[in-house]
Amino acid sequence: MRLGPPSLRARLTLWHAGVLALVICAFSVGVFVFVRARLYGALDQQIGHDLATIEKVYREETGDLGELDHRMAITLFEVVEGGTVIYRTRGWPPATTTPYRTGTMADTSHRIAVARDATAVRETLRTLAIILAIGVPCAIGLAIAGGYFLAGRLLAPVGAMAETARRITAESLTARLPVANPRDEFGRLASVFNDTLSRLHEAFEQLRRFTADASHELRTPLTAMRSVGEVALQRTLNVAEYREVIGSILEEVDRLTGLVENLLTLTRAESGRIPLARDVVDLGELATSVSEHFRVLAEEKEQTLRVGSIAYIKAECDPAILRLGLINLLHNAIKYTPHRGTISVQVKAGSPGEAAIEVRDTGPGIPTVDRTRIFERFYRVDGGRSRDTGGVGLGLAIARWAVEANGGRIEVESEETKGSLFRIVLPSSPAD
Amino acid sequence: MRVLIVEDERKVAKALRDELEAEHYDVRVAATGEEGFFLVNHESFDLVVLDLMLPRRDGIEVLTTLRQRGLNTPVLILTAKDTVDDRVHGLDSGADDYLVKPFAVAEVLARIRALLRRGRPDQTLTLQQNDLEMDLVTRKVVRATRLLDLTVKEFEVLEYLLRHRGRVVSREMLARDIWRVTARATPFDNVIDVTIARLRRKVDDPFDTKLLHTVRGVGFVLGAERG
Repeated sequence: MRLGPPSLRARLTLWHAGVLALVICAFSVGVFVFVRARLYGALDQQIGHDLATIEKVYREETGDLGELDHRMAITLFEVVEGGTVIYRTRGWPPATTTPYRTGTMADTSHRIAVARDATAVRETLRTLAIILAIGVPCAIGLAIAGGYFLAGRLLAPVGAMAETARRITAESLTARLPVANPRDEFGRLASVFNDTLSRLHEAFEQLRRFTADASHELRTPLTAMRSVGEVALQRTLNVAEYREVIGSILEEVDRLTGLVENLLTLTRAESGRIPLARDVVDLGELATSVSEHFRVLAEEKEQTLRVGSIAYIKAECDPAILRLGLINLLHNAIKYTPHRGTISVQVKAGSPGEAAIEVRDTGPGIPTVDRTRIFERFYRVDGGRSRDTGGVGLGLAIARWAVEANGGRIEVESEETKGSLFRIVLPSSPAD
Repeated sequence: MRVLIVEDERKVAKALRDELEAEHYDVRVAATGEEGFFLVNHESFDLVVLDLMLPRRDGIEVLTTLRQRGLNTPVLILTAKDTVDDRVHGLDSGADDYLVKPFAVAEVLARIRALLRRGRPDQTLTLQQNDLEMDLVTRKVVRATRLLDLTVKEFEVLEYLLRHRGRVVSREMLARDIWRVTARATPFDNVIDVTIARLRRKVDDPFDTKLLHTVRGVGFVLGAERG
């Protein structure tokens, strides 16, 4: 099994090892420089000390200079006064074959020079250098190995996620990635991925329902046309009967046409292929004119249709599309409100920056379980597909699109048996 | 009146031809864009009904050629494409009117009449059918000496029916021409049906001769007998 993208692992390792190598090298150099400075510093201090001792002996008792060798272990030095060597130990000047550290102290009258063997310091430094030269590559090697291992460990969940994700297809959208720790980065990634899966699943479900509903709605009129036609052909009918048959077929054609129109509108809307105009629309005017169109329907059912608009409330939107939305809402309200019910259309200012059109009816209301789904295509509250109420259940889907396309939203409030309230909320346009 | 129909769907072409011939038009049918192209170039017509999606040669091409030859023959486009862009494109290419499939044949005929009538001033002051009389100036409607009290919409619908008397008027035509509802995905049929029912109550119910008839599945017709 591949543990995630190998290049990522390699990159992580390289970065890790590189940074560590840099740190180790810098540290080693630092240590070396520091130790070296300290060791030579100590030697120089010793030499300074020697010089001071020799100076003191030279000033107080020049003859004792020879005793310094075995009493103070100052083995290599010379004292020169005005060009004449006063004292010089054996072996002076120091041989160049062994490393010596020298120090001098000069006065107008005399000059003292001391040398001390630095072999021990050299040895120590060399040993340190060797230790570092072996240790640093080892450490870097360990860093690479450890980094590679760690990167592998770190990236393993990614590989597992990729593997799981690969197994998830349209058919198994219910599968989810395991979330080990929802708070770490991979946990969050998995959660996000799972959310996406949920939404996909929901979308697929909707599509499936939609396809089933659409084919039902399309087949019903087709079946009717076919059977009416077939039956008519099998019998000899008189002219009036033929007219009846053809009329009945044409009615179904009308139904199909309407359905196709609605579906096309929604499909185009969803793919964003309906260009929107931008106009300042007087919502009161719109509500009034749409209500006037439907007044005959309300009157026919002896319903009271009230339109109220308090002031000049305007919104910037596509008037034709918003109108389509309101038409669908009002049509629904009248359709579902019983005889002698009341429908009221109110234009309100709403919260600041918002304008609202409310359509309130005294219909049967919408059960809570259905409230979120009524805007889905073909969804119907009763679950039944009675053809008496007309329509196929696309009206609210179209209404929602019409409002949302204009940057607004539709809200529903409903109380069963008391009625429903559909509210179109739009960003209002500043009063001019 | 010579009418050229360029339409590749045989059934549609035949239906249009039959209807137009019944109304005494002289009809030629071209089944391909090529044929339409040829006919347009060699013969003269009073009106062209043009399908846009044609085999071999695009309807727009036929239209452009026609206009390039400097002919003002009215052209009515029929098409299944109904986006605003398609419509604008068709009209910009020189079409005079536009109908989206599926259409009612009655509507095609009404549009053709309107196109042929275009440019001639409308001098009509009164419209009449049997004993029903409409005065367009005073906006009074009288049937058999009885003054009918109509609402504005009812008046408009009745006027529309009278102008198309004897011919079927579809719901779609009424929605567009009377209610100015252009979006096709609009639940408007109920409104039209109720308005017609009310109109019928005022125009027909008190009288023996019924003038306003419903043609099932198609629309409405105003006439002494069922059309």
